[in-house]
Amino acid sequence: MAEPPQAVLAPRHRALLEAHCQNCHGAEKQKGKFRVDDLSFSLTDPLTAERWQKVLDALNSGEMPPEDEKQPPAQEKADLLDDLAHTLVTARKSLSDQHGMITLRRLNQRELKNTLRALLGVDADVSDLPSDAEANRFDTIGANLFMSSNQLEQYEEVAKEALNEAAFLNAARGTQKQLRIESETTIKVISDHYNEGKDAYERAKAWVQGVEEAAAKPENAETVAELRKNSKNDAMFRRSWEKIPGAPSPESFGFKTTENNADKANSAYKSWPTQYAYAKRYLELPALDTGAYLAITDVDGGRNGSLFIRFPGDFPPGDYIIRVRAGLTPHATPERSFIDFGFKGRGRPITSVHEVRGTVEAPEMIEIPFHRSWRHRDQNQNALYIRERGTADNYEQLKFKMGQGQKQNGVGFEPAIWVDWIDVERVPEKEDAVPPGIRALGIPMDDKKAPPKPDELRAALQRFAVEAFRGVPPTERYVDHLMALYTESRAGGAKHSVALRDTLAVVLASPKFLYRAEPAPSETRRPLHGPELAMRLSYFLWGAPPDAALVEKGRSGELLKPEVLKAETDRLLDDPRSMEFVRPFARQWLNMDRLDFFQFNPALFPRFDYAIKHSAKQEVFESLALLLKENGSVRNLLKADYVVVNSALANFYGLEGVHGDAFRKVPVPDGSPRGGFLGMSAVLAMGSNGEHTSPVERGAWVLRKVLNDPPPPAPANVPALTRLAGKALTTKERVQAHQESPQCASCHRKIDPIGFGLENFDAVGLWRTEDNYQAMDDQGKPIPNAKKTWTIDPSGAFHRGPTFQNFTELREVVATRGDAFARGLASALVEYGLGRPCGFSDETLVDSLVAKASQRDFALREFLHALIQSEPFHRK
Amino acid sequence: MNLPSSRRQFLRSSTALIALPFLESLGFRRFASAAAVAARPKRLVFLGLGWGLTTETWFPDAQQPGADYVIPKGLEPLARHKADFSVLQGLTNRLVNAGHQGSTFWLTGANQLAVPGKSFHNTISADQVAAAHFGRDTRFTSLQLDCGTYAGNSGHGPGLSLAWDASGKPVAGHKNPVEAFHRLFSGDDLPLEKRKALLKRRQSVLDTVLEDAHDMRRGLGKDDNAKLEEYFEGIRDIETRLSKDERWLEVDRPKAPISEPKPVLAGYKEIELMYDILVAALRTDSTRVVGYRQPVDTLLTSLDIKVAPHDMSHYHSTMGEKLDASQRRDIANSELLAGLIDKLKAAREPDGSSLFDHTTLAFGTNTRTEHNGDNCPTLLAGHGAGLKMGHNLVLPKDTPLCNAWLTMLQGSGVPVERHGDSTGPLKELLA
Repeated sequence: MAEPPQAVLAPRHRALLEAHCQNCHGAEKQKGKFRVDDLSFSLTDPLTAERWQKVLDALNSGEMPPEDEKQPPAQEKADLLDDLAHTLVTARKSLSDQHGMITLRRLNQRELKNTLRALLGVDADVSDLPSDAEANRFDTIGANLFMSSNQLEQYEEVAKEALNEAAFLNAARGTQKQLRIESETTIKVISDHYNEGKDAYERAKAWVQGVEEAAAKPENAETVAELRKNSKNDAMFRRSWEKIPGAPSPESFGFKTTENNADKANSAYKSWPTQYAYAKRYLELPALDTGAYLAITDVDGGRNGSLFIRFPGDFPPGDYIIRVRAGLTPHATPERSFIDFGFKGRGRPITSVHEVRGTVEAPEMIEIPFHRSWRHRDQNQNALYIRERGTADNYEQLKFKMGQGQKQNGVGFEPAIWVDWIDVERVPEKEDAVPPGIRALGIPMDDKKAPPKPDELRAALQRFAVEAFRGVPPTERYVDHLMALYTESRAGGAKHSVALRDTLAVVLASPKFLYRAEPAPSETRRPLHGPELAMRLSYFLWGAPPDAALVEKGRSGELLKPEVLKAETDRLLDDPRSMEFVRPFARQWLNMDRLDFFQFNPALFPRFDYAIKHSAKQEVFESLALLLKENGSVRNLLKADYVVVNSALANFYGLEGVHGDAFRKVPVPDGSPRGGFLGMSAVLAMGSNGEHTSPVERGAWVLRKVLNDPPPPAPANVPALTRLAGKALTTKERVQAHQESPQCASCHRKIDPIGFGLENFDAVGLWRTEDNYQAMDDQGKPIPNAKKTWTIDPSGAFHRGPTFQNFTELREVVATRGDAFARGLASALVEYGLGRPCGFSDETLVDSLVAKASQRDFALREFLHALIQSEPFHRK
Repeated sequence: MNLPSSRRQFLRSSTALIALPFLESLGFRRFASAAAVAARPKRLVFLGLGWGLTTETWFPDAQQPGADYVIPKGLEPLARHKADFSVLQGLTNRLVNAGHQGSTFWLTGANQLAVPGKSFHNTISADQVAAAHFGRDTRFTSLQLDCGTYAGNSGHGPGLSLAWDASGKPVAGHKNPVEAFHRLFSGDDLPLEKRKALLKRRQSVLDTVLEDAHDMRRGLGKDDNAKLEEYFEGIRDIETRLSKDERWLEVDRPKAPISEPKPVLAGYKEIELMYDILVAALRTDSTRVVGYRQPVDTLLTSLDIKVAPHDMSHYHSTMGEKLDASQRRDIANSELLAGLIDKLKAAREPDGSSLFDHTTLAFGTNTRTEHNGDNCPTLLAGHGAGLKMGHNLVLPKDTPLCNAWLTMLQGSGVPVERHGDSTGPLKELLA
């Protein structure tokens, strides 16, 4: 094994420190109680590393040496900073090396949810627990999975809720429920609204006439002239109706509120032609006797902007299918052929997006699976909506869409989607599909029958604990304690159902449930037993406990045979539950949380709505899932002749002829920028701030995630380039200012060219050839004549590497870096799969993963097989 | 079955990580000015602001140090209290480098990477240091108020409230005014027997999980054992709480000095209500230490600001509506704080002095503007710790923020010699 790199700074830098720092920070003077003369050039302990970090920060920010002191030569300073930044990265990595030790792992938030689902068949709400996922690290690292007293109590609460739900589900087993919502029943809301508006308008009109008539009387001429002079407009004039002798009151025309009624009448008079035009047009549409249209209008729910599905109180939790029979009107464009589905409430993200295909004459059915939980009885979650896609993600979007429609025809967008009806049906459970925890318990959870006898109960608790502890038996004393808890509860007056639930909840807050122990009495690293290996495998690939088949293979020891292990690995990966590996791994590996950091301006990016953002995220996951399924080469993530999209995203990318909600492989035409990470909307949008592209973010991401050449972390406290404010510069000109000083240039010369090569993608990943920039003043107002428009020039060169003329050529270069990419992926998998940081002592393991996978052209499964078959995966 | 007392003894001996007892022999000397009003208990309040504020319009001019400074725009609503607060400039958490985390290390000053092999590490927060000292005499050791699920959007960073316990683990907070109110003032309608039974039940639950923990510990290696130790510590914390609950069992809860809050719209009104609850908690001496991780995203919504919170902190790039949002947020925060100070001044102690005379309040965050962690905005108010008020204190650049916490703790009578990366109390801050 090669020696791990040493975090040692080259001795040549001593000269700069001696010449420029030690006068004030040396043995004699120690300004700020900081000295550099005794700083070790070997960064082998955290304290030394931290002191060097300060040196780096002080030099980077230009704070040191002070302005009035002699400054070091730019090149020497840049050289030191470059070296120091990289040495610190090495130091950090080597200081966090666990040398193969895997710390006891607690179930993280999502594993707990999956484990409760596997055990009890419920969809538990774990959102109150710490997420365990933080930026730049995986939520599987045992050392980072903490426990606190609050958390301990929260586990018990989560477990109680989950057990309640399990009891409800169990009681509802086999229940059938059905509900049809005929959408034409909602039309009355619109006609009532329209009629009320019309009535108010007629009354207001009569009042206006009355006021005008009184004002026209010659004897009032002088008063009226005075009033008109002081009124901004007619409405303000009528507000003073009381001063005009003979003018009628608004109250006499039915405007009776606690506020100013003249204002109400004025408003009813004024708003009629605009506000009710849309309702009028809607009511004139055909086929309103059998269905309703999805409108684009301002009142959420009031006027069919959405159609709602409200669950009646007696609909139990369980799996439901929601069927929407709908068709397109002649006004539907390909982009306006989708519905959003989600929980009611403006601003709440959609749950899914669906394509509508039929017509009003021949509607077609859309099926949406939905799992209803016990907690959904809450009034905020009891209603679901469907609405035209991208019309009401937030208020800004709605206003923007309404404005667009009004510009088009003065009234508002013609509805594109007609809904015949919506059906809600509960899918009865299969008779034999009893969750293992409930089956193990084997006694009723409700109070319908007499409570169990003590020996029955004891046996039930014992069986449940073994199941919850994933096969590890509890002590006799532990079961004694459980019995005592139950008995105490009952003695305190609790019903059997409650006493049982509270007792079982304690099991689900016990260490053997919450932790995955792999006992090793001494510090020697022993091989894992079969059941332990089964556990590691399933938590790695499913984020959940092993199923019965895998448990059996573990128990019998079969799993320890490489070929059986390989077959089981393949079986787990073929199972849909492997998405519980794909999603969390990809999200954390690729830092995808950044996508939710920014709000994308609907006026600038009207096409990038929730549905597309949601689909764009899925594209990343589904692309990996496809590689897993087909055991394809991960080179396809660098460049591919296909994309994995649903119809909504295909439409966004301009790919025609893709229909349906499922993600599938779609070939892209020659010369398309799509295919591979660099053409994915999610990846490109992450490299923006929701408004402008950020070539620096994009370039750094490519270096980190694709080329496995991560730049050191961005320096803290670097002053903003305020001198650029208010100037009309191209993106390149602005970013290149970063490269003026040598210490910035050392990283940016690597980062920026890659980012510039991606400039043909706008902030949401759509293709463009031109960009512009409007400089703003201090108040955020556009500065006149300070707007610049330019043709994007993506050409550039990799630092000390090949040149490229455009994005296609850039991607070609990236596509040749499969080895580097494979290495980065392998390190990430080691970290995620083994649950500890991937340190220098893991280089050999990473090497072996890359070497094995390269034999099959970096097929994705080969990485997983190589890791799972490796020695560290089998050792405590 | 184990008796709880013997078990507690075991727990005490089973770890080296128990908070050390505070020893008078550490040489602590209380400030003279603080001693003068020592008759009434000291209170400490920490208000965390998440995503920074507007540097240019919140800080007083650094060229006007001392008492004669012009109140900047962002602090204008506080003008009537000018003599009763000080703004501190130049403070920083030197070991913290986390641009999106305004609260995680704010009161701890910890180095996230201090422990090899761990990518996250934290230490006890200043409020919990105070709570360990003052909490012995009150029903609640400390009170944590929190913006709850909005913490990420509000730029607070990891954590469950401002508070981190002695092991550097996050302490959970109450996420809305109604919940906090009930925690403080309700729950006594159960008969005593029932409450005793509930306490006994909690003990039995702990007995049960502890049995399992002991069994699991058998056979674990050193490293894993240390990890499982967190679980034991968790149990021990709960037990400490239970034994105090036991002591308070027969003491009636105070009558709430305010009526039960109605659920209100999140944001501005909610912060106001939380402040009312905070004052009520202090007035009734239910606790002497309160921390509040304030919402930013819902505050913006309630002010009808459409700019996303994180984006707002990057106002330098466009100025305009982002700068405007940032400044309006500052004004709103200052208005709310001024209102809180009014209430603390109006609340009378039994000896006729005001609650404000015995309270020290810290208002700030670890993120100034954009992602900068230097010059952490820090405003201290109140006369509880004998600190110098009414000043624009311009300190040397990169003075440890923990020096301010240390000064505040010592001035309030908490016997500590250091906190976080402190190098000593701030002489400039002493009255």
